[in-house]
Amino acid sequence: MSLLEVKNLKVHFPVKHGMFSRVHEFVKAVDDVSFSIDPGETLGLVGESGCGKTTLGRAIVRLVEPTAGSVLLNGEDITRMGGSALRARRRKFQMIFQDPYGSLNPRMTVEQIVGEALDIHQLTDSPSARQKRIVELLKAVGLDAVYAQRYPHEFSGGQRQRIGIARALAVEPELIICDEPVSALDVSVQAQIINLLQDLQQQRGIAYLFIAHDLAVVEHISRRVMVMYLGKIVETAEAKTIIREPQHPYTQALISAIPEVDPESKRQRIILPGDVPSPIHPPGGCPFHPRCPIAEERCQSEVPALREVKRSDWAACHLAGTKIDARR
Amino acid sequence: MNLLEIKNLKMDFGQGPDALRAVDGLSLTIGAGETVCLVGESGCGKSVTALSIARLVPVPPAHYVGGEILLNGRDTLKMSNGELRSIRGGVVSYVFQEPGASLNPVFRVGNQIKESLKLHRPEKATDAEVIRLLKLVGIPAPESRLRNYPFEMSGGMQQRVMIAMALASEPKLLVADEPTTALDVTIQAQILDLLRDLKQRLGMAILLITHNLGIVGDMADRVAVMYVGQIVELSPASELLRRPLHPYTQALINSVPKLAGGANRLTAIPGNVPRIGNFPPGCRFAPRCPIAKPECSDAVPELIEVEPGRWVRCPFWKTS
Repeated sequence: MSLLEVKNLKVHFPVKHGMFSRVHEFVKAVDDVSFSIDPGETLGLVGESGCGKTTLGRAIVRLVEPTAGSVLLNGEDITRMGGSALRARRRKFQMIFQDPYGSLNPRMTVEQIVGEALDIHQLTDSPSARQKRIVELLKAVGLDAVYAQRYPHEFSGGQRQRIGIARALAVEPELIICDEPVSALDVSVQAQIINLLQDLQQQRGIAYLFIAHDLAVVEHISRRVMVMYLGKIVETAEAKTIIREPQHPYTQALISAIPEVDPESKRQRIILPGDVPSPIHPPGGCPFHPRCPIAEERCQSEVPALREVKRSDWAACHLAGTKIDARR
Repeated sequence: MNLLEIKNLKMDFGQGPDALRAVDGLSLTIGAGETVCLVGESGCGKSVTALSIARLVPVPPAHYVGGEILLNGRDTLKMSNGELRSIRGGVVSYVFQEPGASLNPVFRVGNQIKESLKLHRPEKATDAEVIRLLKLVGIPAPESRLRNYPFEMSGGMQQRVMIAMALASEPKLLVADEPTTALDVTIQAQILDLLRDLKQRLGMAILLITHNLGIVGDMADRVAVMYVGQIVELSPASELLRRPLHPYTQALINSVPKLAGGANRLTAIPGNVPRIGNFPPGCRFAPRCPIAKPECSDAVPELIEVEPGRWVRCPFWKTS
């Protein structure tokens, strides 16, 4: 059985024009998304800013309320759970945020930050056990125990992200939603945090939903990768195959747009025209068709369904598999 | 003569015993029409170096302690305010990281571009010239776009307007400080493509500041890698990426996941970037360096030319 199952999840935000006007329009931040994560697995989620990837992560842990659809954790529907029942389930899933500066309370010491999670779920029965557990958690994320009494501002970005990870680990979760955990960090520190997340997964069998905009990072850490565009999943496949043989034209363009370190690489570059359209008025038919270099007439009217193009490679495109010719 | 020649630039923040050395003995040249990348992590001094070229860092808190910045042979550190005004835009133009924060939100973009024209090419301060510039940077329907306010444009479009504004004065040198960091990858590819294209057509030199080594491979003729205020390696771009010589450059390249690079463990650089004012003695990278020897802590190594065109600040580069 899957650890997490997301079925037809929708998150629509109302848009109001002026203070007293009625809601006429919605931003379809997440629009009919389904997927599952197995225990101990890493699922990567990539997309450009505004595509709804963060909202999707937040909707799963119920930090924003889903409009429709369901989220099943260990087979149990948590979408409409509330109060203490939801709080008890939250032990199973935690979140790590993008901004290690914004996600730690500046008035709390590291001990208080990590200990708060232990207190809420009453995981330790004595002050000394609590103390011991906090030291253990700090060690697990590579921080010295002497740091327990310090405040977040005394740490560097990478160290703060480690504190955030320790806080998530405190309740021994089965799933951690990592929302751009390394994009605010320096290049040399990024690798430290990626390695730490991988080590922790091996030791504790935690599953990750790894959200990022950097496809190289996502491919490195994930077994499977989902690509999101304007609130919809446009392709999902094994990490290796999605890089080598991307099926959806958007995935192809996304991969070709990444500047590469290797000077020998003669990869062709596909430059997409235009910007991501507004999610309030997404284009009809395939949401990608205005920027798609191979769009046909039916792409403007028929919404493509996610279909299995190759074994375990799903793409939402009428023409999936067609190679785009690069401009040069 | 080189277009830009920075010689042994030293810049402090603060004065007296509390002075923090942000740029320490930096030398760099850029020839006409050349693209040079300045690479480094946050806080390494790459942005203040770039801003210093047109003396855009306010003094105080900054203090220039030594060195020269020769732009077309004349030292900008000795220029009067009037002279500085004429080179800002006239010889060197800037494009910054966040286009949204660099544009004035209460003026139409057309007028903002025209302002630059009025200062540097008053005879050309017309709508027609603004439209030509907007076309040049690939903005569709420029006739209507020039009446837009910045908030009506996407980040990629705003950055194009910034580039149009920088080009309005026909500079010899375009300094682009992380021009694509705030943009999405597909938009980043558009902007980099535009810069490459403009460089070919207009023949200006570009100083590109970035932390992304992939962009270096894409854009640069030569690269300077900075680590806390000093250049540690200076080299032609393709050679540096193919065979980095300084242990920091090597570590930096190895710590970035590569596409289709497999699931091998990344080689992370241990520790953190030292804070300004709290540098380790001797080589500043020594505490994080895999090949550091005890003598590395004795003195700051010199930047030496080890092969033609390749400069390295590490006496043990052969063993790394």
